[in-house]
Amino acid sequence: MADNTILLGAVAYDAKVVPIWEGIREHFRKQDVPMDFCLFSNYERQVESLLAGHIDIAWNTPLAHVRVRKRTGGKSLSLGMRDSDRDFRSRVIVRKDAGIKTINDLAGKSLAVGSRDSTQARILPLHFLKAQGLDLAKVKLMAFDTDVGKHGDTGTSELDVLKALHEGRANAGTVGDLIWVLEQAAGRVDTGKLEVLWTTPGFDHCMFDALPTLNPGKVEAFKKGLFAMKWENPEHRRILELEGLKQWMPPREEGYASLVAALDDQKGW
Amino acid sequence: MPMPGLMSGRAGSVEATEMNAAQAALAIEGGDLPFGGGLLALVRPALNLLESGGVLAVHSRVAGIADEFFTWCKVEHHELLESTPQVGYCRLLIRKGGLGAPRGVPEQGLELRTRQGRLDASTVLESVPFPPSADPATGFAPRGARVEPGGPVYPFVLNDRAHTAPPDVAQLYDQAVSAQWNADTDIAWGRIKPLPAPLQQALGQIMTFLAENELSALYVPSRFISRIHPAYVEVGMFLSTQLADEARHIDVFLKRARKGGGGLGISHAATSASLHSLLVLEDFTEAAFLLSVLGEGTFLDLLRFIEDNAPDEVTAEIVRRARADETRHVHFGMSHVKHALQHDKTLYGRLEAAVRRRSATLAGVNGVPAAVQDSLTVLAARGTDAASVARGHEKFRELLHVMHDNRVKRLLNAGFTPEQAQTLSDLHTPNFM
Repeated sequence: MADNTILLGAVAYDAKVVPIWEGIREHFRKQDVPMDFCLFSNYERQVESLLAGHIDIAWNTPLAHVRVRKRTGGKSLSLGMRDSDRDFRSRVIVRKDAGIKTINDLAGKSLAVGSRDSTQARILPLHFLKAQGLDLAKVKLMAFDTDVGKHGDTGTSELDVLKALHEGRANAGTVGDLIWVLEQAAGRVDTGKLEVLWTTPGFDHCMFDALPTLNPGKVEAFKKGLFAMKWENPEHRRILELEGLKQWMPPREEGYASLVAALDDQKGW
Repeated sequence: MPMPGLMSGRAGSVEATEMNAAQAALAIEGGDLPFGGGLLALVRPALNLLESGGVLAVHSRVAGIADEFFTWCKVEHHELLESTPQVGYCRLLIRKGGLGAPRGVPEQGLELRTRQGRLDASTVLESVPFPPSADPATGFAPRGARVEPGGPVYPFVLNDRAHTAPPDVAQLYDQAVSAQWNADTDIAWGRIKPLPAPLQQALGQIMTFLAENELSALYVPSRFISRIHPAYVEVGMFLSTQLADEARHIDVFLKRARKGGGGLGISHAATSASLHSLLVLEDFTEAAFLLSVLGEGTFLDLLRFIEDNAPDEVTAEIVRRARADETRHVHFGMSHVKHALQHDKTLYGRLEAAVRRRSATLAGVNGVPAAVQDSLTVLAARGTDAASVARGHEKFRELLHVMHDNRVKRLLNAGFTPEQAQTLSDLHTPNFM
């Protein structure tokens, strides 16, 4: 394999990951940017592979991204994100019959949460609730640690949270706004039973990460290829729709500050 | 309190600047409907009425509704222009995005005329005509439907009107639907009596040959249906009637061979080679030309010969009905080829080359299989005495001339020159089909 081929890592959280990256690889080829990808089963292995120099670039969840930042002393290169990665939020959902009207009413109640590595369904909602003054020690946490290693990408633990709420096994629960809205849009939420108690502040999601030592030629070639994808191009649009974005955006770090604080506080590094 | 529903309508898109509720093209009064409890069922159809860039106003009394629409708009790639909390309700302005916006113009105002209470396919085709070309990415979307983008590209290869859809195909489909008959109940099977052995044997061989040829006429068109773009669905619909026709013919020919104490005859290698050369064709127009114009055209003369010389009325009826169906198939083949030739002059050369290639492949086939020739002779002779056989033989020779003359006529009708027509007819397989 020629040295100028960019090797990108992604986590195979769904079967669609293969057509997404094959499509992007084909697009890069047309841009004269040689690129290949390898798939990991979990983000921990992907981060270690990036840090060890086995791959050039990693398509990372927010948790993987801040870990790479920390492990490189803040020197890692952030190369780009989706428009849809900006301004994620989490929701605290309650059963209408649970008598919960304020955040402090959650004390003494059961709170269903997603996987321990899910930014949107566990780490950040708990962090934000604590910041609002809720004493988490007084909350009965009901954790759904499914698909650990996928950092919440599959959404399985969030669906578990909603199921527990619907079935009355939990009084309240935390999910990302994406799952909450998609489940409602598909008609799978009983709005007679459930309602939103609170919406967290915004935070950012996935990021392309590279080591600071990555060949600058590869960095520029990658950005050139990535930002050449256009919504108006039907071939590109098919891939963009699969990956859930309309436009690739430049990186921004401020959207991860709350996650860094949460991991410090929760000793979650 | 206002009831949920569409408040007002002003179709068309709205400029993105200086938005306010009054400038929205449509407005929804959501009342107390929760986002996931019915409000979307009003919002989504309303957005479907707008072009990309059009603005929808939503009024809702539900607390936190702006958060729901913030995320939903992001997912759906709409733009939440404004969410203004008012006393007791929230006003949202949503600009429709381009994601998933169906392409095409909504069908409306079609007036489909009925004729004596009937609504046939050709009337529909007049109102919703074939497009000159079609996009394989519209998949199985019916012609006239608006198509949400993002679907896979289908492996259709017949994507243009000129090479796929002759203008009278819907009329032929209508005729075919009206002319369907029942191989079980429409034939007086009970009236068939045993025939003298030579005649029974000849009939068994002829019916075997007919059924074998009709099997090829079942298989060959079926290979092309899945390649036709659904924008030209009437072609697929017509071919499906052709398949039903061929299935029925196979059914009745085999029944006739066996009824009255007979059985099937021999399947010959020459026939098999001839029909195989049809089955491997990859071009729809070449197949229509070789199978329907030349093959089934020649078959019409054969069926007429069998009908004229049938040993009983039931056999004549079977063959007459089959011939009526085959006439329609030949008509479709002629229409198809003539239509394609009008739009593509290079096709003359390609079709001639196809006939020559097939002829070269069948170089070892010198005539219709001897057993078929003998059976047709015996059938026409109606006996085995010398004078009758001589008469039968003469009729068979006459049949070959009739077949050639009629092939030439069809080729001239299709637009070939007299020289081309003579040559192509001569090169046509001696196996008839």
